[in-house]
This record gives sequence, structure tokens and C-alpha cells, in this order.
Amino acid sequence: MKAVECTDLHAAYDRRCLHTDAEILHGISLSLEEGKRLAILGSNGSGKSTLLKALTAMIPTSGSVSLLGKDVAGMKRREIASCAAYMTQISQIFFSYTVFETVLMGRYLHSSKGLGRYTEEDMEKTEECLKRTGVAALRDRQLFRLSGGELQRVFLARTFAQETPILILDEPTNHLDLKVVAGMADYLKEWCAEPHHTLIGVYHDIPLALHLADELLLIKDGRVAAQGTKEEILNSGMLEKAYDFDVRGYLKSMAI
Amino acid sequence: MKKQKADNQIKIILAFVFTVIVMILATGVGSVSISPSGIVAILLHKLFGRALPETVSASMVSILWDIRLPRACCAFIVGAMLSLSGALMQSLLQNPLASSYTLGVSSGASLGAGIIIVCGISIPALNYFLLPATGFIFGLGTVFLVLFFSARLDGNLRSHTIILFGMILSLFVNAILTMMSAAFSHHMQRLILWQMGSFAGRRWAHAGILLGICVIGTILVCIYHKELDLMSFGEEEASAVGVDTAKARRILLVLGAILTGAAVCFTGVIGFIDLAAPHAVRRIFGASHRYVLPMSALIGGAFMALADLISRTILAPQEIPVGAVTALLGAPFFLWVYFGGRKR
Repeated sequence: MKAVECTDLHAAYDRRCLHTDAEILHGISLSLEEGKRLAILGSNGSGKSTLLKALTAMIPTSGSVSLLGKDVAGMKRREIASCAAYMTQISQIFFSYTVFETVLMGRYLHSSKGLGRYTEEDMEKTEECLKRTGVAALRDRQLFRLSGGELQRVFLARTFAQETPILILDEPTNHLDLKVVAGMADYLKEWCAEPHHTLIGVYHDIPLALHLADELLLIKDGRVAAQGTKEEILNSGMLEKAYDFDVRGYLKSMAI
Repeated sequence: MKKQKADNQIKIILAFVFTVIVMILATGVGSVSISPSGIVAILLHKLFGRALPETVSASMVSILWDIRLPRACCAFIVGAMLSLSGALMQSLLQNPLASSYTLGVSSGASLGAGIIIVCGISIPALNYFLLPATGFIFGLGTVFLVLFFSARLDGNLRSHTIILFGMILSLFVNAILTMMSAAFSHHMQRLILWQMGSFAGRRWAHAGILLGICVIGTILVCIYHKELDLMSFGEEEASAVGVDTAKARRILLVLGAILTGAAVCFTGVIGFIDLAAPHAVRRIFGASHRYVLPMSALIGGAFMALADLISRTILAPQEIPVGAVTALLGAPFFLWVYFGGRKR
């Protein structure tokens, strides 16, 4: 089954801008089989993060998007979030929850509605996700007291806690040091190794993208520049075209 | 988690004890002082028809039952409503500086009251409910205008759009009120007194209406405690986890406006508690809305009752505006909670 499929997807942050010059995505088509790992690459402002928002119906779109064979247009927010967990770029934190409380919130869809509390099962799953991303020791710490890397792992744990077959990550390793990036890559690979788990990520770190993904999607100016396996894209020279830059030459020159 | 839960249970018990002490003081202290046992005897007499002891005179019963108790109850309920809606607004707008008044309820309600006072309108059927009813309608009207304009500009009703329109409309409505003040200066003392806020002369009828709105509002807001936890991280983060943010936000903004509007229209504009009580509660009980919402209501209510007690007794027989007391009393408490928490 296709995990994600979209056809002629246009997206803008204001509905009135759709199909005008002000729209961000100009007719993107993409198809990804269940169990695959896709990295979305492109230069700044090419529309990578917007594509993730469009796939999860966060912004106005036209064209069709389907998750696990179901049309997103007819899905409620709960249904979308039970198909795909989307980890946004972390913005400012205003109120200081503990690490445990934050990860527990990922169980929102699994818990009862209204005044009901989170169940014992939710608590156990939360503990499991805390261990999985290596933040179990921080469980009672306030978010304000965490470093950027710790925070990122807490939010990854929350995304895992949603227990969805699709994981969508927007620059999960931004501002992180090398050791934390390596750790994150391990957690993600471990998650992807489970059956039917599909990973879609936007990365600025090209070596990390190549390490994590088996398929690449190149975006340039809101359009698909190329999609294919890692090898196909690397050999086609499209990476250079998408970035207007000798990417492979640069990576080779950086090899230490 | 279990330790935190046990800690919070002790703190909740302490908060209830504090509230009971405040209510005993708020009803017992005054020109005629009534002992706690006297208060209990009067309550038993009024509620269950028990005989009064000899130490309790008929005037004491009247002072407690007809004057002090409805006044203290009104103060408690208004404090609870204001701080509950303050907590709600801060989380919903992801802005620790947001308050119940961010959406322009107070300026709208003041304009409504100003029109009634200046025009000298009186409707005998509504009696002393005319001013509150008009204030409520104008207050809610202003909020709906803010939401209408915000939605026109930004379909997702993002926080900064709402805050911006709330400020613009508040300033606009205040300007109309200022012009009215200039044109009808002889009426303005009454309006200024109304705006300052007071619980003087509040009766059981007021307390009853306020209690109904407060209880229903609190339950409805508490139903959304998980959504509020998620929404306090931001719109996108909450949607990503499965919250229908557009729907939840509309419902909660209207609930917040009704809670504030009802409080303001019966007592005038009383600041500070709605801003400070939720922050103090977050410091004491943590950020989870399972605690923040009910405890903001309890602590906010107790503080308002205490502020009202001070406002009517400290310069007795003269009363000082309760809004001034909330800030004078609240600011040091707020600093203590903040800096005390930091040391820990």
C-alpha cells in the first residue's frame, strides 16, 4: 500500500494565494510505498517544510493528498494524527511542563476524551518512549531546564508516543551537536526497522539524509526537481541542480 | 509522578484550608465582628432551621446572611471566573502576558455601562440588572467583533492576530468612552466608580447568577484540559497530535469571554488576579491544566475574597477600590511565589 501519495498539490499559507504567484507549492506529485524512508531535500525557501504541512493538512491546499490510501480532505484532524505523527520545528516554550508530562501528551488520541485522565497503559508507553530516545533520566525535569538536544529528544519521544505508522519530521537535527545527531539517527533507524513504519523527513544535513533515507525527493522553487532512489539521484546530478551548488564536490572536500 | 501527585494533593488540601480561613474572615470581620462559631450557627440556622445560640443576635444574622456572605461569595466567584479565564487565555494565546481582558471585554462592558449611565436609561423590569446586562452584551459584542475581524484576516485565528485585534478594538472602544466622558462629564463619576470595581451591595441574586455561570463555565473549560496542555505549545504542535484546534479555540475563547463578561458586568473591571493567579498556580502545582484550571479558580477566588475584605476594612468606614488592593496585595505575593520557587 502507498503510505503517502499526492497529486498536483498546490499549497499556500493563505487560501486566497492558491494558484497565484504567491503560492508556495506549485503542483507537487509524490508517491511513497509503506515501509520506505524518504528524505526531502532542497535549498532554503524551496518549500520543503511547507510540503510537510500540506501533507498533514495544516495549511490550505488544492489537489489531492492521501495517507495510507485515505483522502486527507475527508479526514478529521484525529484521523490524520493517527496515521501520521508530525514533529514540527521546535518553537518557543511558554509554560514549563515536565518531560514526562510533555511526552504523555503524545498519547492524546489514545486517551479518553473530556475530563478523563491518561490510563496506566498511556503511562507505560510514555516510559517506553522516554527510554527509547534516552531521556528517561530527565523525566521529572522542567522543559525550561533542558538543552536544545535534550528538548529535541523529548519531542521525538512525544512523536513516538503517538504510535503512528508514518513519522514526518521537520529538520529534527537542527542546532544539535554531532553526538546528539548520531543518537537521533540511531533512534530513527531503530524505529524504521519495525514493519510498516514509514519515515519522511526534511533535512539540511545531506550526509544524515543519505544515511537515513532510501528515497530522495528534491524540491526547487516549490516544484519537484527529482524523485528516486538515493543512487539514482546521486548519479543524475540533480542534487547539484536543486542546490545550484557542487554538493558532491563539497562533501568530498569535507571528507576528513 | 506518584511523588508529584502526592505533593499536589497536600497542596490542594492547603489551598482549601486557606480558602475556608479567608471566607471565615471575609464574613466575620467588620464593624460588627462575628466569631467562627457564630458564623457556623447562623449558617446552620439559615440552611437547616437550627435554633440560634443566645450569643448571636438577630442583627448579626442579618449582617452575615444579607450583607457579608453574598458579598464574600460574589467576590470569591468573580475571582474564580477571572483567574480561570486568565489561565485559559494565557494558554490559548501562548502568551504569559495575556489576561481575561485581552479580547476587549472590559472596554466593551464599560462602553455599555457608560451608555446606560449617560443616557439615564432605566427599565423597571430589569431593575438593578440593567447595567450588568448591558455591560455583558457590549462586552461579548466586542469579543465577537475581535474574533470576526481576526477570522477575516486569518482563517486559522492565530494568537498574534487575536491579540492585535483585541488591542486595536479595545483602544477604539476606549476612545469612544473618553469622548463620551468629555461630552457628559457630570455623569462620569458614576462610570469611573463602576469601572473601578466593587462588591458593595451585592446580593444573593447576583451570587446565584454568577455561581451558575461559574460552575457551568468551569466544567466546560476543564473538559478541554488536555487540549489546552497541547495548545499551549502552539497551534501546529497541537494539530500534529490530533487536536481540532480551530474548533477548540473558538469554543474556549467564547467560554473565556462569557466568564470574564459575566464577572465584569456585575462588579466592574478588577485587574491583576486574572493575570497573576494562574502564574502562581503554575509555580505551585506545575503547568498541567488538570491542576492549573481548577486551582486557578480556587486560589483566584480566595484572593479576591481576601482583597475585598481588606478593601472594606482597612480604612473603614471608607472603602478603597478592590482593584487597587488586588495589585497591592498580589504583587508581593507574586514575587514571593516566583523568587521563592527559583531558590528551590
